[in-house]
Amino acid sequence: MLDHCSISHKGGFVLWSRSFTPEVAQTASSSSSPVNSLIRDALIEGRNADDKYDKDGYTVKWTFVNDLELIFVVAYQRILQLTYVEDLLAAIKTLFMKLYEPFLTTFVESVHAISNGKVAGKDSAVSWNFAEAFKNWDTVFDKLLRNFEEKAAQERKSRYRTAAPKALVSDSTPPSDDASTIPSAALPQDEQAIARTHQALKSRLRARGGARGGRRGVARMDSESGRDSVHSSDTETGKKKTKTKVQRKWGDQVPTEEDMASLDFSSDKPNDAGNIGSHDLQALVDQASLGTRTNDGLYEVKDWEFDSQTDEADDVIARTMGSQVAEQSKGSLGALGSFFARFTGSKVLTEEDLKPALEGMKQHLMKKNVAKNIADKVCEGVGESLVGKKLGFQTTGNAVRTALSTSITRILTPKTSTDLLLSIRTKLSTPVPSAQQRMPYSITFVGVNGVGKSTNLSKVCFWLIQNGFRVLIAACDTFRSGAVEQLRVHVRNLGMLGVNGATNSKGRVELFERGYGKDAAGIAKEAIAYGKDNDFDVVLIDTAGRMQDNEPLMRALAKLVAVNNPDRIIFVGEALVGNEAVDQLTKFDRALRDFSSASGAGKGRGIDGMLVTKWDTVDDKVGAALSMTYVTGQPIFFVGCGQTYTDLRQLRVGNVVKAILSD
Amino acid sequence: MLKGSTLQGCIESVPSAYPLTLKTIMVAVLALLLALVALYVISRKALTTRGNIYLLVGLPDGGKTTIFSALTFNQALPSHMSLQANSSNVTASSGKTVRVVDIPGHPRIRDQFREHLQDLRGIMFVVDSNSVSRNGAAVAEHLHLILDAVTSIPPSQTPPHVLIVAHKADMLKAATSSTASETAVTRVRGALERELEKRRVTQAQGVGMDGLGEEGDRVEMGGLETVSGKGPFKFTEWEGGDITFVGSFVRAGEKDDEKQQNGISALQDWIAESS
Ligand SMILES: Nc1nc2c(ncn2[C@@H]2O[C@H](COP(=O)(O)OP(=O)(O)OP(=O)(O)O)[C@@H](O)[C@H]2O)c(=O)[nH]1
Ligand SMILES: [Mg+2]
Repeated sequence: MLDHCSISHKGGFVLWSRSFTPEVAQTASSSSSPVNSLIRDALIEGRNADDKYDKDGYTVKWTFVNDLELIFVVAYQRILQLTYVEDLLAAIKTLFMKLYEPFLTTFVESVHAISNGKVAGKDSAVSWNFAEAFKNWDTVFDKLLRNFEEKAAQERKSRYRTAAPKALVSDSTPPSDDASTIPSAALPQDEQAIARTHQALKSRLRARGGARGGRRGVARMDSESGRDSVHSSDTETGKKKTKTKVQRKWGDQVPTEEDMASLDFSSDKPNDAGNIGSHDLQALVDQASLGTRTNDGLYEVKDWEFDSQTDEADDVIARTMGSQVAEQSKGSLGALGSFFARFTGSKVLTEEDLKPALEGMKQHLMKKNVAKNIADKVCEGVGESLVGKKLGFQTTGNAVRTALSTSITRILTPKTSTDLLLSIRTKLSTPVPSAQQRMPYSITFVGVNGVGKSTNLSKVCFWLIQNGFRVLIAACDTFRSGAVEQLRVHVRNLGMLGVNGATNSKGRVELFERGYGKDAAGIAKEAIAYGKDNDFDVVLIDTAGRMQDNEPLMRALAKLVAVNNPDRIIFVGEALVGNEAVDQLTKFDRALRDFSSASGAGKGRGIDGMLVTKWDTVDDKVGAALSMTYVTGQPIFFVGCGQTYTDLRQLRVGNVVKAILSD
Repeated sequence: MLKGSTLQGCIESVPSAYPLTLKTIMVAVLALLLALVALYVISRKALTTRGNIYLLVGLPDGGKTTIFSALTFNQALPSHMSLQANSSNVTASSGKTVRVVDIPGHPRIRDQFREHLQDLRGIMFVVDSNSVSRNGAAVAEHLHLILDAVTSIPPSQTPPHVLIVAHKADMLKAATSSTASETAVTRVRGALERELEKRRVTQAQGVGMDGLGEEGDRVEMGGLETVSGKGPFKFTEWEGGDITFVGSFVRAGEKDDEKQQNGISALQDWIAESS
């Protein structure tokens, strides 16, 4: 029982899709559709190597054909835990490519401006008849799906029917026997041909489209057989049986002639790709096999950020790939074949090609203080996006470097506005009902102990004062002795520092304190109320540092958030942090969400962004920035880079990317 | 000139078996000069030739890919969020072929538009006229980026034409006095002017974080200057050049028919005129 299945191009074009339930059909073209959510929350965030994506009760799985820039997506209800989805995806991918490759190639060229405007003119409207081009696909898909579903149903049945030796016997008979039960003489032949093609394509696909299908397939099978063993002896045959069964079942339900015709993709007859004659296609294909690559570079490369450092980054890859050259020459055609492939720019990247380069990049990232499993995931994602691509005239190292820098840039670039001043002004200028007083803008600073929360809060305060705001600091660290006094000193300093522009008769900055040992959430509430009554623009809430594993303290923090609903929750973390970054941020974010939603304030609030301190102490080992943004998906609002009030900066993505890739 | 004189030198050093008259030398020199001038003019022309690229930019779900599809395939393919840019060569009604590039709108990848700044002839900023009143701030933030980039193009390059596309006009109800397209344009223009004014004011008053420190290597983002140098921000007074507005719509899934043609005809005309 699927909910949605689609085949689309990375540029955004949906080539074919089907929704199986009215609910999904309704949202299919909205931005909250499973596919759009997948792209927004997983693929663009660099999580494309993940196993699956869960959203609103759906599980979404996907696979790529990088070569033709296609995405295959299947969405289903999470509670169903369908086990065949990965195999289904692999099969869809194989068949679709087999059936429509020439058409798809032409299509991809046309969205890379390779077709030279020939097909783009008015007169050629007929050339692009997509419905016509894919008209067989519905039948093929139906058939494929039915096979998988029936197989799954049967498996379920046989699992419950523990005492069903008969089923087992028939299940384990070899394919040839099975064929004899089918009346038509023509069928077994076709069936076997299909099976063969299917198998061949599958292995070919593994090389081209990434091993996700294969790799996952095995993983799934393992877990499945583990489960099965509880029920019956069915599992002895384990992995293999499930595999062969897929192929054998192809002809089981005695298909109609039309079905068979549509499934007869084993013979290599030219297929009907729309109204474009195979003649035309051929011309286009040849012309393109050279050009695509150069053109591709255009869409992957962001060289302008690297001009000065290209050489250095190149070196890193070159060095980390010492053993690469030897590896590459191991193709089926031997060194010479590989040489020619490279020479003509038709070399297709395989997982083996990429492995050493990716491993090297991973080590490099970790040296730059990127948390280990973030480095893992980022590199895995890069690999996933490269497997199956034609190399063109660049080296593997170059391709990896480019893809990595694109990926890192993407992860670090904020997806929401980081313009705090504008956000504050907007809130302050939003009209309120006349009877009510304007609410101040509140920012809560959270984090573990000793990372510099209070110091950097003061820097932010200084910056806000410079921008003409009246700021109230709420001392909600009622835990650590000296915390309130520390803030008092800061407020005194800030009060004495000159302010640009007109002076306000009232103080620009004040401290709101209630001593130690009291409930922080309550103090924050009072502070905001005080700020409101006394016409403060911004309230900065300092909280006690706490370890992410300390549940009572995390609950207290979540309560503070739930009670006061601050405009921004900023996590303060050190640039020095390595692997810990992941644990800290994940747990802070989750605790805030879980506990604040539990305490009844509706949907849980997570971290809105980060302030990274001690930036000046890490030189170019700025990996923490990548770890932090990857984990939360949120931007870095500030970096603290020194001891004085002016040592606060905004993150420049380009510089961070350079620093991370530099040697 | 230099070449001319060395040439003369050469000729004079030739043993005068064929005595050259001053006239022939003059002719040779003149011809050379002419050739040089012609070369110079041609190369100048090549340098200042305007680009050929028309960008489609704007927030996600605005309809860029749909417009791209209508321009390229003469039909609106269904679409989802773009992960990468599309480009195609489109022949305008004027007969000129231009390249249209559809840039993904997601904030994390929309900066790709900068790769095309050198070859830019036009920018189409696509706005969903239905949601613009709700997310005007986000639209304005993006537009600000674009306008900043446009105004910082070096003066040696011809500035690109800017078109703001009030898209999805089909979902608006046409007011009695105006067409749906006009309503869409009015709405988009109003919302954007309001939001850009907010940004302009914030910027005028604000002290950037980098202004705090010593080095100040960052120039503040510009792009919102008006001719008069004062607010409120009006598109008609934008210092960077003319900004055109059109309303448009493309019905997804519909094939090329009369209606469809009308939906983006204003946009197509704009391309034809400006190319
Ligand atoms: N009603 C209506 N819907 C439209 C129109 N144009 C586009 N759409 C729909 O708007 C949605 C988004 O369109 P896209 O073209 O994919 O948006 P985009 O601007 O390319 O988005 P990104 O690629 O994410 O930046 C699609 O579901 C279209 O069907 C229109 O003129 N009218
Ligand atoms: Mg798009």
